[in-house]
Amino acid sequence: MTLAMRLLSMAALALSALPQKLPLGEVPRGKVVLILQPHHDDHTTDYGMGGLIARMVDEGYEAYYVRASNDEKDGAHGYARNDIVNLRESVEGTRILGIRKVISLNWRNDYMNPIPLNELREQLIVLIRKYKPDVVLGHNPWEHYQKNPDHRQVARAMAEAWWMAGFANVHPEHAALGLQPHSAHYLYGKARLDWGLGHRPNVAIELNESQVRKKQKAYVAHLNVYANPATARAYRVALARENLAVPEWESLTDAEAAVLMEEWHMQWISRRRGAEAGVPYAEDYYVLGEFDHLPGLKEYLSKNVVAR
Amino acid sequence: MTGMRLAAVGFAALGLAGADRVVVVTAGGADYVLAAGGTLAEMAGRGAEIHVLRLTNDEKDSWRLTPEETAARARREAEAAGALLGVKSVTSLGYRAWELGAVSFTELRDRIMLFIRHHKPRTLFIPNPHTHYDRVLDRYYAGRAAEDAWRSAGVEGVQPVQAEAGLQPHITHDVYYYAPPVDPERRTPEASATFVPQPKVVEIGAGLAKKIAVAQVYVTANESLARRLEERLRTSGRRLPVLDEITPAAIRRLVEENVRGLAKLAAAGTGYAAAEEFHYAGIEFRIPASYR
Repeated sequence: MTLAMRLLSMAALALSALPQKLPLGEVPRGKVVLILQPHHDDHTTDYGMGGLIARMVDEGYEAYYVRASNDEKDGAHGYARNDIVNLRESVEGTRILGIRKVISLNWRNDYMNPIPLNELREQLIVLIRKYKPDVVLGHNPWEHYQKNPDHRQVARAMAEAWWMAGFANVHPEHAALGLQPHSAHYLYGKARLDWGLGHRPNVAIELNESQVRKKQKAYVAHLNVYANPATARAYRVALARENLAVPEWESLTDAEAAVLMEEWHMQWISRRRGAEAGVPYAEDYYVLGEFDHLPGLKEYLSKNVVAR
Repeated sequence: MTGMRLAAVGFAALGLAGADRVVVVTAGGADYVLAAGGTLAEMAGRGAEIHVLRLTNDEKDSWRLTPEETAARARREAEAAGALLGVKSVTSLGYRAWELGAVSFTELRDRIMLFIRHHKPRTLFIPNPHTHYDRVLDRYYAGRAAEDAWRSAGVEGVQPVQAEAGLQPHITHDVYYYAPPVDPERRTPEASATFVPQPKVVEIGAGLAKKIAVAQVYVTANESLARRLEERLRTSGRRLPVLDEITPAAIRRLVEENVRGLAKLAAAGTGYAAAEEFHYAGIEFRIPASYR
């Protein structure tokens, strides 16, 4: 195959991979969202959930963040110190988004693959029964090429906990603690679109400027792992070799430039997802709705359910 | 749906002889009936000998019953449903429902494999572990173990102790993977027909009435479904008139609507009025057309 043909076929492949325009989803009516994640920074991982969390809080939701691992590997300060710093930054980052509380389960970071999944699932069920979320938000349990074992396990436990918590015969012993059965009715799954075909979002959630700004700020609250000044310094050096510079960085230290660069990244991805949905800013999700587990009844319900 | 290619195949293409044996592996509940009940009813009507292996005890899906009472009722209902469908046997392994993730994969596989080697089916029905967005992960664990049991049952060296009990290796010709139709990509053809099961739709017009009747036998889980649905609607300011009073007749009506809805979904794009959809691994799966 000639180079030209190869380039043409690559271009065709890239075009065919372009996502179709996503429908805009509304935030469901509700009071509580529970964000179930393994790590301190997963509320605003690079493809982002922070915008939706900020929007839900704007629309009246109470938000609670579950951090399933102890984050001991994330950072350069050794296990114990990383755990402390990452928890502190998690509290700060989630506060920016309007989240009320961080609940740490403290499973060992990056070693969650062999943990008893039903035990983790029970922890999530306890929290769902306590906080009674309408919406559960986390990594898409069915995404492909997810390499992080903590992401896989928490997502898989979430895939069952969100609805199973509504069945009284699931951990009936919880009743003695005053925890009544409660199902969440919506699951919002997030994943990276560039990791295979496992995550094909079905809605885009529109964000406003303020929500994107909160997402940016929440992301760079995690200075233990993001916004490394050395990265900005390396960019400056590389650009200077070609007589180039970033005007916005001229009066900034490397640390400040690194923060700005991360904020741009958050804005860029929110703008890109927005463009795909025909709005200024957005995030995309695969949403499982209240009756998606009853595919045979969906049409019947849509025609026959009426207001009281 | 772009690139959709359905293999709409009627029963003439199933190649069932009267004496064929069929094994159905199910995680529990009415899963296999809702997904494959029409096809199985037709097979039973043509004389197939069908054996169902039910892995879990269904102890959790009820309304205000203890797990023990739920499990006992669910077992009776599973056996009655099988009998009505024309199934010869329903064997329950008794694993706790919705906890298959804690069961050893190899243990589960070997128990399914024993069942396959014992009954020597020509056709297997198994939960599809490759489907997305099915929130009941027992189906995933059951399907994953059953898929390997299908493969391993023909390999002499896997669990050779079963040979001591008189069980010989057995190769099953046809496999139907079934799943609730929740995966939007379920009809997208896989990359190759060789070694990868392909979407297949089976017309079930003749078996639809039987399928509805069989699904209605699962009284305990059906009441749970109806009451949870009514509760969700009531607490969110809505109502479904048929459930204003939750009577056995209302529940049966709901189940009928569910089965009819599933049949309509599966038939979409095929010209059939009622159907079931599978991923099918038949002769194409093993032997490419160019070699036959």
